[in-house]
Amino acid sequence: MPEKQEGALSVYRILDITDQRGTFCARLLADMGADVIKIEKPQGGEARNIPPFAGDLPHPEKSLYFLHRNTNKKGITLNIETPDGKAIFEKLVKSADVVVESYKPGYLKGLGLDYKALKEINPGLVMASITDFGQGGPYRDWKSSDLVDFAMSGAMIGSGYPDGKPTALPGSPGDDAASYSAAISIVTSLYMRGSTGNGQYIDASIHENSRLGLYPWGLVMWYSNVRSDQPLPPPAGRMGTMIYPVFPCKDGYIRAVALTPRQWDCLVEIIGKPEVLCTEEWREFYFRIGNADALNVLVSEYTRQYTMQELFEKGNEAGVPIAPIYDIKGFVESAQTKAREFFVELDHPVVGKYKCPGTSFKCKDSSFGIRYSAPCLGQHNKDILCEELGLSINDLAALRRAGVI
Amino acid sequence: MSNIPLEGIRVVSFGSGIAIPDATKILGELGADVIKIESKVNPDFMRTIASDPNNSPGFNESNRNKRSFGVNLTIEKGKQLVKDLIKDADIVTENFRSGVMDNLGFGYEDVYKIKPDIIYLSTQGYGKGGPYSHYRGYGPILSAASGLQSIWAQPDDEYGCGGSFPHPDNMVARQAVLLILAALDFRRRTGKGDFIDIAQTEVAASLIGEIQLDYTINERIQKPIGNRSPYAAPHNCYRCKGQDRWCAITVFTNDQWGRFCDAIGTPQWTEDPKFSDTAQRLANVDELDKLVEQWTIEQDQNVVMYTMQAAGVPAGIVQNAFEQFNDPQLQWQNAFVEIDHPVAGKYPHPNIPFNMQDMEFKQSTPAPLLGQHNEEICETMLNISKQEINRMKDEGILESVLQEKQE
Repeated sequence: MPEKQEGALSVYRILDITDQRGTFCARLLADMGADVIKIEKPQGGEARNIPPFAGDLPHPEKSLYFLHRNTNKKGITLNIETPDGKAIFEKLVKSADVVVESYKPGYLKGLGLDYKALKEINPGLVMASITDFGQGGPYRDWKSSDLVDFAMSGAMIGSGYPDGKPTALPGSPGDDAASYSAAISIVTSLYMRGSTGNGQYIDASIHENSRLGLYPWGLVMWYSNVRSDQPLPPPAGRMGTMIYPVFPCKDGYIRAVALTPRQWDCLVEIIGKPEVLCTEEWREFYFRIGNADALNVLVSEYTRQYTMQELFEKGNEAGVPIAPIYDIKGFVESAQTKAREFFVELDHPVVGKYKCPGTSFKCKDSSFGIRYSAPCLGQHNKDILCEELGLSINDLAALRRAGVI
Repeated sequence: MSNIPLEGIRVVSFGSGIAIPDATKILGELGADVIKIESKVNPDFMRTIASDPNNSPGFNESNRNKRSFGVNLTIEKGKQLVKDLIKDADIVTENFRSGVMDNLGFGYEDVYKIKPDIIYLSTQGYGKGGPYSHYRGYGPILSAASGLQSIWAQPDDEYGCGGSFPHPDNMVARQAVLLILAALDFRRRTGKGDFIDIAQTEVAASLIGEIQLDYTINERIQKPIGNRSPYAAPHNCYRCKGQDRWCAITVFTNDQWGRFCDAIGTPQWTEDPKFSDTAQRLANVDELDKLVEQWTIEQDQNVVMYTMQAAGVPAGIVQNAFEQFNDPQLQWQNAFVEIDHPVAGKYPHPNIPFNMQDMEFKQSTPAPLLGQHNEEICETMLNISKQEINRMKDEGILESVLQEKQE
């Protein structure tokens, strides 16, 4: 097999000392070719305990969360609270480009490993802290979680049924949004460093970034409704079913989004032009939003006569965006997912061979994509500590006994 | 040496909606000069769903920090103007439906001939290649097609209905910016440009990769669990006093459970053995949630949040835009900036979120009116005389909709 081309970030070494929160940031960089070393405490990080597990039985190498979020990383163990562990970490920092961390604000300073200290070792170091609320301010020491991030993002109030509960967006959306923001800041800093030689410190708050990653329009939409007569839906309402209607089919549901009159005409066309829908008022987007329940009853009668796939194809050929509400299997097995080879086979030392989601992008010249599965605990201790830092196997044994690795 | 990160980088941005406009807004925040190519006949659809094309709130947020060049690309001379802009550009971005850029003569192959080291980022709903590459998709359509929407629901909902906000568009925007920045660094090191293709369904899917692994490894098709967690309880969004007022509370450990109980005054039910540890609480979660809500429903949502946070329990109100604007932490972070738009007037917008010590960021500029910068771009970037500009306006090569607010 020919050698892979250079990845966009393959000259960079990233030290990832995050556990659960922020760990996606380094994954994003790894997917573009960066050499990421995940550094865990000797007994392993908490993220290894997050269910479900491959084969369902709890096992530190089988958390699906850990496997997904740490794909493409190498892994070593290190207790940075011990003097020896700290010294090893400092050696690694010396030749690294980036440190990503998510400890509670002040923790690394207590160890003498904050940015100020690390910059002394490596003036070109780029360091990002990804924390729940940021490094300062009244909420600095508050605690968050995926659900709390989403609640405070401004997006949850609009999520779910109009008369139902605000409903969580699955996954870790706030954390992911902050991971994106931190990764953008990191690559910006590396790009700048190319001409200035200077390092950079980045403070990424999950709270601040979650709203921007999910719904940056929230504020302007609200102000617009308060301050003008714009015919727009109230942004605070849960309007998903009204703006982006869902209709039943023979074998499931489709979502059909007609924003323009032309798209609406196409929708009416493909379900057989029922007379009751051919009036001028239904062509008006805001009229449809305002009469969503009535519309649903009328349209459902016709969409029920088709399968999801039939309407998916008919709609898109005619010019109205329609998609099936695929379940997870539906997406994984869809013709498009297969044609793009989104899922990639990996071979993990403990889990064995499995198919994992790949990268959402393909690049012509700098491609890298998926290279290896998430590291087992301490899998690369020998590669990094012996071959790079020159420790002996006996040194490793002693460090292990002392609880350092 | 300037400390503005992308100073001197030029972006020519085609496209519509959110993903690319929001991505180039962010590149503008980082200091790039972004030129949005617009058309009067086929404007950005976000301009079309407001009563005034220059006063669409979503458009005006996602199109800050860019200049608008209104040009008729069906006329050869119009095409030539844009080709001339691309000769001096570093980045081209687009999110039109597949085939549109090729038909306009601005596909990657065409642009590559004009500018071999161009960084060209293209993103569609379903990505390039495959049977659905030409299919249309807005964010909520792609949430449906990615499998995400099927689990974005309460367990007893008829179907997952997702939200009012267009997920994953803004995440796609961030993925695009990240790839562009990495490509700029790659170009700096190697001299090579790149062509990048993002499938928006795959961005949505990659954010729930662990749930797909549950299928590919365990053959389990996950069902919606609403606001609950398989490994924490209480873990829900609880109704508080008032209309549509809620607070999320999440208790992950027995230690946090103890703090939670103390914080609500240790009512007798909290001492029931059926709530004594996480496994017990999960087994009796319906009853637990009802009991928790008996407490929250009597409280103001902020009281719930502050009480929990003071006790070290992760909790947060379900914020609406107004509450977000008044959030003490966001205020402290200077998270909002007032921008004066020529038609919409003064509005608060999100401030630049990038918190980097030694970098400078310019004040955001308001979203442009359609074709607002035609003359400026022609004169200063394309060296075209005023007479020639006027002639091109008359001939419909340059297009604009410039009605400003009437005082």
